[in-house]
Amino acid sequence: MRGLFSSGVQSVMVILNRKVYTTLFIAAFLAFAVFPYIASGFWIRLVTLIFLSAILAQGLNIIAGFTGYAAFGNMIFFGMGGYTVGVLMTKVQVSFLPSLFVSGIVGIVTGILLGMLLLRLKGHYFALASLGAAEAMRQILDNLTGLTGGAMGLTLPQMAGKPAQVNTNFYYIMFSLLVLSFAATYWMSRRRLGYALKAIKANEESADVMGINTTLYKIVAWSIGGLYTALAGGIYAYWFTFIEPATMFDVVVVVKLFVILLLGGSGTVMGPLYGAFIFEGISEIVWSRFLHLHLGILGILIILIIFFIPNGLIDTVRRGFSLKNIRDTIREQRV
Amino acid sequence: MNKEPILTGQHVSKYFGALRAVDNVDVEVYAGEILGIIGPNGAGKTTLLSMINGTLPITKGKIFFRGQEISGMRPYRIAELGISRTFQIVKPFPGMTALENVTLGALFGRNRERDMSRAMERAAETLKRVRIEGKEYVLVEKLNVSERKRLELARALTQNPDLLLLDEVMAGLNTREIEDIMALIQEVNRAGTTLMVIEHVMKAIMGISSRIVVLHHGQKIAEGTPAEISENRQVISAYLGEKYSRGMQET
Amino acid sequence: MFSQAIINGILFGAVYVCIGIGFSLAWGVMNIINLAHGSFIMLGAYVTYSLFTHLRIDPFLTTPISMFVLYFIGYASQKYLLNYVIRSSIFITLTFTFGLQILISNIALLIWTADYKSVAPSYAGEGLVIGDWVIPYIRLGIFIIALILTGLFYLLIVKTKTGKAITATALNLEGARTVGVDVAEIYARTMGISAALGGAAGALITPIMTITPFIGGPLVGKAFVVAILGGLGSTMGALVGGMVLGLAEQIGSLLLPSAYQEAIGFIVLVLVLVFRPQGIVGKQFY
Repeated sequence: MRGLFSSGVQSVMVILNRKVYTTLFIAAFLAFAVFPYIASGFWIRLVTLIFLSAILAQGLNIIAGFTGYAAFGNMIFFGMGGYTVGVLMTKVQVSFLPSLFVSGIVGIVTGILLGMLLLRLKGHYFALASLGAAEAMRQILDNLTGLTGGAMGLTLPQMAGKPAQVNTNFYYIMFSLLVLSFAATYWMSRRRLGYALKAIKANEESADVMGINTTLYKIVAWSIGGLYTALAGGIYAYWFTFIEPATMFDVVVVVKLFVILLLGGSGTVMGPLYGAFIFEGISEIVWSRFLHLHLGILGILIILIIFFIPNGLIDTVRRGFSLKNIRDTIREQRV
Repeated sequence: MNKEPILTGQHVSKYFGALRAVDNVDVEVYAGEILGIIGPNGAGKTTLLSMINGTLPITKGKIFFRGQEISGMRPYRIAELGISRTFQIVKPFPGMTALENVTLGALFGRNRERDMSRAMERAAETLKRVRIEGKEYVLVEKLNVSERKRLELARALTQNPDLLLLDEVMAGLNTREIEDIMALIQEVNRAGTTLMVIEHVMKAIMGISSRIVVLHHGQKIAEGTPAEISENRQVISAYLGEKYSRGMQET
Repeated sequence: MFSQAIINGILFGAVYVCIGIGFSLAWGVMNIINLAHGSFIMLGAYVTYSLFTHLRIDPFLTTPISMFVLYFIGYASQKYLLNYVIRSSIFITLTFTFGLQILISNIALLIWTADYKSVAPSYAGEGLVIGDWVIPYIRLGIFIIALILTGLFYLLIVKTKTGKAITATALNLEGARTVGVDVAEIYARTMGISAALGGAAGALITPIMTITPFIGGPLVGKAFVVAILGGLGSTMGALVGGMVLGLAEQIGSLLLPSAYQEAIGFIVLVLVLVFRPQGIVGKQFY
């Protein structure tokens, strides 16, 4: 039974037919599953990073793409998750997996508490208040030097084993989180929760009078996204073995995530993955050669993407690249 | 009609600072009736409706639905108790088709469907009821005014409310469309739904209501059958001015 | 101690007023949260820096020049870029202005490098001493100019044709369009004015801050708080908002370690947003 919202959905399924899409999907999944056995360390790391971006983008997608609340401070979960693992492993000598579990709980609890406080705000106010929260948390962790190492950062123990094996291990850990989080998102999108979020995004007042407990659903959405993001942060901390508040709560990352959602299609299940591949692919090719220009190029890229393909690449391909489409899109958005 | 009202509002008031949008209004709605709410612009009709369905918090007074106090409840809770409403300026879910809009209605509320295909079926039936046929897969942005109004009605109806609040559902419609929607409202009522209807189109509201309440400057100035209301001096004065109503007396 | 904190609060608050007033204007009139406002301030600071370093012009005197330059940058940004995306969703407009911000930062990086720059006029470090209180000349100068700017801005909005058109557009977009206001042009001028005010802020902060191409970010954060506290688009509001923020931070730092300033700012922000979203002054726009 096909679900709701097949209208306006920027799905690759609409471009390719179902059989082709399913075959490609399975092939890609298998390819990812065996990837570390056929690729070099460099590529394994690269793809692991792409998975990380995809997971973070999905975490943002649930609150922003599905529910319409642009959480510019979403990195707060990444930082909280990373520091939970960091502090538990260094100060309390807990091993990785239990620490990761706790970081997940921290992510959910943060989502609930922050959500209760901030989700009553709308639009820009919410976006920037969430950013304020992330910044405030960053500053607090910067100052709890005894616990977190402060601005100088925290060094975690390394995973035992040869570097190549460790690399591969993290590839599979990240891949597992990717599969789980995306599967969960897919499942959610086909159930009442997913539809409630879409209704809230479309018109929150209507949703409310229709019997949707908007507050509850919004908090659940943010907590789920927060869970993915926090777990990703925990894995990242153990992988890179060094974390500091400035990078863990960096807002530029969130902007990157928004661009990834723009590219891949926000509010869709697979969008974050497509977007992450495209974005990181461009990053690798273009920017590692122009380091001192990388911010400027990102800036120009953002401007161009928003001008020309604000609904995502998939949607643009589906509708066809034409001057007319571009002009129509601009006309809808201009003053 | 039953003796006991299903909805009771006691001393219902809404103040915005010094502005008394609704001032000490008592209202009762009996099961099975169509209660019309009329009054000049700014009389407080929509505000009253919004307090009943929870969209606006009540400043003073209490509202009871089937004996349970609902004043101060959140809108979704009130929807779950069986009260649905439409908005004066329709609020459909943009970017979705007519069917998707109504299906969402079927998925939530106290009669929510657990199964997606059942929800879509029920939505399709409701769309038929409001006479939107053949346009189920059209995006709401492409529907005309009359269709959007009926879509909003469908979305509320698909939840099988006990009490349906309609806010100027006829605004913007032509004569033919008004007749159609009047017939629809009466059908809905005959099928068992109680209605509170805010309307400006006099002929229509007088035609379908069993009773009418008149608001002016936030206060209830009259209540009675359509016949009684149309001869009530205060009502005429409120709409047409003192001189006209005095003039009427002399005829 | 406490009274000096109040004085500092007012003096520091003046800086915040300058930073916030342009930002609040753009937000109140066009509903744009211009994350690039910080980079406008940054550019204004660099203009002043260059004039001071190469031509020995006093930073306060370069303020009009910074304003002039930034007016055109703001105007062009709006007319040729922002006007085209202004009606999209929040996350698109925020991301867009963010993209603009990092682009401008990168350009500044290429021109002036990332080295810390500073401007130290001869009277830096000196000030009035009244009893137990110290009022540095520079801070005093900033305070006076903040008041002048606020006054000039108010006159602009209330007395000039452009100002009235801006108010009309802010209060009723369709209405203004119907009576013939060229909304695209008015928006461009509004952003020009907003950027000019940012440029002035930049000029004024050069003697008290080290300048890098990346000072824009934290400054926008402050501007945001000023705008929220004061109510969007309101001149009086920006004045009040800036002062309140300055005072809250100075007094707060007496009670808590100053390292938690941002956390304080955030708490104040959330309290205002939750309990009084129309800001302390309390009007939506004039």
